[in-house]
Amino acid sequence: MKPFGAFVAVMSLVAAALSAQSGASTRASSGLTAVEGLRVGHYTLSERPTGCTVIVVDGDAVGGVSQRGGAPGTRETDLLDPLNMVDKVNAIVLSGGSAFGLEAATGTVRWLEEHGIGWPAGPSRVPIVPAAILFDLGVGGNPRIRPTADCGYKAAEVATAGPVTEGSVGAGAGATVGKIGGAGRSTKAGIGTASIRLASGLVVAALVAVNAVGDIIDPATGKVVAGVRNPDGTFADARVLLRSGASLQPPRAGENTTIGLVATNATLTKALAARMALMADDGYARAISPSHTNGDGDTIFSLATGRWDGTADITLIGALAAEAMADAVVRAGTQATGVAGIPAARDLRK
Amino acid sequence: MRWVVLAVAAAQGLTPGASNTTLTAVPGVKVGHYTLTDRPTGCTVVIVEDGATAGVDVRGSAPATAETDLLNPINLVQQVHAISLSGGSAFGLDSRSGVMRYLDERNIGFKAFGNLNVPIVPAASLIDLNVGGSPKIRPTAECGYLAATGASDAPVVEGNVGAGAGATVGKIAGFARAMKGGLGSAALQTPDGLIVAAIVAVNAAGDIIDPATGKIVAGTRTADGKALADARVLLTTGAFQPPRIGENTTLGVVATNATLTKTQAAKVAAMAQDGYARAIFPSHTMGDGDTIFALATGRTTGDADVSRIGALAADVMSQAIVRAVRQATGIPGYPAARDLNK
Repeated sequence: MKPFGAFVAVMSLVAAALSAQSGASTRASSGLTAVEGLRVGHYTLSERPTGCTVIVVDGDAVGGVSQRGGAPGTRETDLLDPLNMVDKVNAIVLSGGSAFGLEAATGTVRWLEEHGIGWPAGPSRVPIVPAAILFDLGVGGNPRIRPTADCGYKAAEVATAGPVTEGSVGAGAGATVGKIGGAGRSTKAGIGTASIRLASGLVVAALVAVNAVGDIIDPATGKVVAGVRNPDGTFADARVLLRSGASLQPPRAGENTTIGLVATNATLTKALAARMALMADDGYARAISPSHTNGDGDTIFSLATGRWDGTADITLIGALAAEAMADAVVRAGTQATGVAGIPAARDLRK
Repeated sequence: MRWVVLAVAAAQGLTPGASNTTLTAVPGVKVGHYTLTDRPTGCTVVIVEDGATAGVDVRGSAPATAETDLLNPINLVQQVHAISLSGGSAFGLDSRSGVMRYLDERNIGFKAFGNLNVPIVPAASLIDLNVGGSPKIRPTAECGYLAATGASDAPVVEGNVGAGAGATVGKIAGFARAMKGGLGSAALQTPDGLIVAAIVAVNAAGDIIDPATGKIVAGTRTADGKALADARVLLTTGAFQPPRIGENTTLGVVATNATLTKTQAAKVAAMAQDGYARAIFPSHTMGDGDTIFALATGRTTGDADVSRIGALAADVMSQAIVRAVRQATGIPGYPAARDLNK
């Protein structure tokens, strides 16, 4: 009974914290940058809707990753294994452009090095820049137009601590959702961000580029926010389609992937940062259906800046991270604007 | 247990008549190096134009890698088109971009919904920034492109080349007592036509030991710099500096002509790490980013017992590691094994 008792105690703590969040706490309007020390920059290519989003950490942060989609494109995720030595991250790069887009990290590394930022290694400082990409090559033009090192450099250069621009920008510029109904029925999505601040001073925030096979669901209402469209502009609801036995388009590599990060001002060990990323994946599960498919490279990074001197249990932080992530996913659907003939949710509501 | 006997017999050397004793003994595998002239560093590319089922095992604790999540057997993409190894620490991962460009220009890659070409190029880098010149000189995308352009199925050039150009070994008593590492390759062919081969850039914190003799081939030198100190002895006598990031990492690829599933390829990569364990001491430290990729071209369809292939992969990897330091040549501050034996 003892372990169960402890479990109940922890869950009560979470419930109390969550109710505190909906009551006394307020949501910062600035999304991810509500976590002090984080700056966000987007660079969006003009030739085709694609781009990259760079999160620069002032000082540094302990990092983790959860990689649960079946078609990932990633860089420096092995380094984030808690068994491994480096426990500080200088930036996270999210990019469109499929595996080609990993090159964006090269530009961010260059920018960081020019600013003397990196892990001390003998005579050098080596910028630690995990990265993940999403697959948008089929959207709005020539698939040879992809984010390059230049994109990652420019996004780092313009990164600010101000409110994060959401919608069809940066890594979300070419992002779409609702692809199980096949070509021509998807809806535009993009970048979303959200943050939760407790009265204690704990901040947990998320940023995400949503390019899922599945639909975006608002967990608060259970309703589709963006997804497979019907000819009349309503949403078909992927959950209904899946149960109907209708002939569906199996998720394909080269079309999908939702990539994001969660961050907190709390102090976490590297192993707990990995736990935070893992729990944040529950936000994908709640706000994307289906999620984590074989054709999605779904990846979530986590960052803990340690700038808050309070203490909070990882279960609280992880549960809030899932909440913030689900909120951010919904905003990625509501804040997007239509591009390349693919309407966004806001276009359909008209 | 017949395969054990075969493996042991094969480990003594190649089947008579085989002329290529390197990674390119596996049909369909090409290797190219590009070595920078401004500082000893560079990159090495293993190309499989027709694709190969692949796995990875990251067992060092300071890795710099890309596209290794994709190699998780539960994930979708089954085949890779190249492996990019480089010096230059995390910066060197940029060389992968050049390999991608080279392959894309030739329309070699995963075909996303039929027509979009995406080359699959996992990569890893070793850390040689503090060797022989400005640490700002590192392999870039250009290095990867040029290495891919020069790739061929000729026997692999070994020693101070490509990803092994700036490699050093024997650093547990500091850099002043280290020696030159390098790049080595070896291949085994069994009478039934199975080929298992390895390539490795050896930049270990530890010493290199020939498992056939138990003797050190290259490693930490004595204080006067003239003889080998033996890391195994130093560890027990207290004269030991913890390995540091920014100095180490051994990167390898094992390849076979057998047909393997993606899960089996991961297992072969894991078993090949035993080759590191036998030939490097200490191995897999906090300061090493030790990584091994495995490639299976599937050009033979015979017995593909994964334990047999994995055991051979470990053996051939040990051989490649020993060759890496035997073929290396000294550079200022870092004598090679051949220099100490004079």
